[in-house]
Amino acid sequence: MSLVIVGTVPIKDFPLYVGTPKVEGNYLLLDGYKVPCGMGTAALFFTANLVCQTLNLTPPIWVTAGDIGDSSGSRILYQHLASNIQNIKPKVLTLHYLLPITLLAKNMMESIRKVKPMLIADAGSMYVMKSIGAAKEFDLFTPDPGEMAFLADPKAIHPAYMQHYLFELDTANMPSLIEQAYKQGNVPKVLLVKGAIDYIVKEGKILAVIDEPNIPALEPIGGTGDTITGTVSALIYSGLEVEKAAIIAAKTNRLAGKLANPTTATRVLDIALQIPKALVQCLQ
Amino acid sequence: MSARGLITFEEVRQAFKAESVLKKAKHDAKLVVPPPEFRKGCDLAVEFNINELVNIKRTLATNKIKYSDIISIDAATTKTLEVVKVFDFGDSIMVRCGALKITFEKGTGLIRNISGGGCPDVPYLYIELVGKKLTEAPKPRDIGFTLCALCLDRAYEEAVKLYESSHSGHSTN
Repeated sequence: MSLVIVGTVPIKDFPLYVGTPKVEGNYLLLDGYKVPCGMGTAALFFTANLVCQTLNLTPPIWVTAGDIGDSSGSRILYQHLASNIQNIKPKVLTLHYLLPITLLAKNMMESIRKVKPMLIADAGSMYVMKSIGAAKEFDLFTPDPGEMAFLADPKAIHPAYMQHYLFELDTANMPSLIEQAYKQGNVPKVLLVKGAIDYIVKEGKILAVIDEPNIPALEPIGGTGDTITGTVSALIYSGLEVEKAAIIAAKTNRLAGKLANPTTATRVLDIALQIPKALVQCLQ
Repeated sequence: MSARGLITFEEVRQAFKAESVLKKAKHDAKLVVPPPEFRKGCDLAVEFNINELVNIKRTLATNKIKYSDIISIDAATTKTLEVVKVFDFGDSIMVRCGALKITFEKGTGLIRNISGGGCPDVPYLYIELVGKKLTEAPKPRDIGFTLCALCLDRAYEEAVKLYESSHSGHSTN
């Protein structure tokens, strides 16, 4: 029973890969292919792997395929999970960079329901699970403020479509967006809203607000949301309650950001490499 | 307002191309959200004046644009997000549209980072754009495929405007 991470890599025609890649410098080695640990599911996997190492857990499994936005790799992943999830048997399943394709997502969810893993979604997987009405079946979503506005909009099926007044609300009045999202009902049990201020929410109630250390330069850095989702996935896999894992992950990411002393030009790998040290401090 | 038509596509990228060729041919065309019954996921359509249908079809055919269907719609329900927000980090500026953010260095126009979004072309666009100058980087709509690419393109266009205005005597500070 593993932590399984599902999400594409931005390499055209990269074939289906299921396994635990080795880490070599700034790269992940997948059957001879070198994948940079940049923003996206590579950063999520890299971070989850580091957290598993830190906590002496079995390393995660990555299910991936190449997709540069043309849907090819996403289709492979939806179909692979629909057919093979019962063999993979995840304890925790984190769904990440996938192109939203509603019919394939519905088929995949039918198979996932039979296995009943803990379910986490972020990025395109979060968009599609909301649009097919499956968000309530998830244990955790990790939206940023723009994505939270999307979750609060009952009609939106992608953050590009949300109503403008909700976009205006996002950072100014997050509690209001959270309330609206739970009112319309298509949200998971727990939310980790990651942004300048992090909110951990359970069934509509804000359990924690985390705003320190405040490192504004983290927001422009591509992948800092991926490192949070990777951290929280591994913490949930370790057996922590979802909301507790979310609080520790949010604190860890902020501290890792501070330790990296970032600028707006910093790469996410530099933040991820600080996660083990930050995690140890946050767990004390 | 004139009656509106909607062109739907299998691929978002074809919608990008269609809007470009129709605008170039002086048609009143814009990217919009398909109505719910036509949505399959990460969809985008092109809205146009239905009175121009024949000419629109001809322009699409001439430019070899593949589309799924052409339908009549209520234009009021299909607007995509066009609002951008600008954040000043001192030596750099971040521009955000929807969940997508692009950050560039004020003095040089160098793209420092891209963040947010969740479609698979965002990490791809990151690789293709970050480290290049705004004026030399490929446009997200030219190499992207998805709605996230569309949002990034809008943020990118605003970033280019800000950068160019700062270099024509108007400060971005």
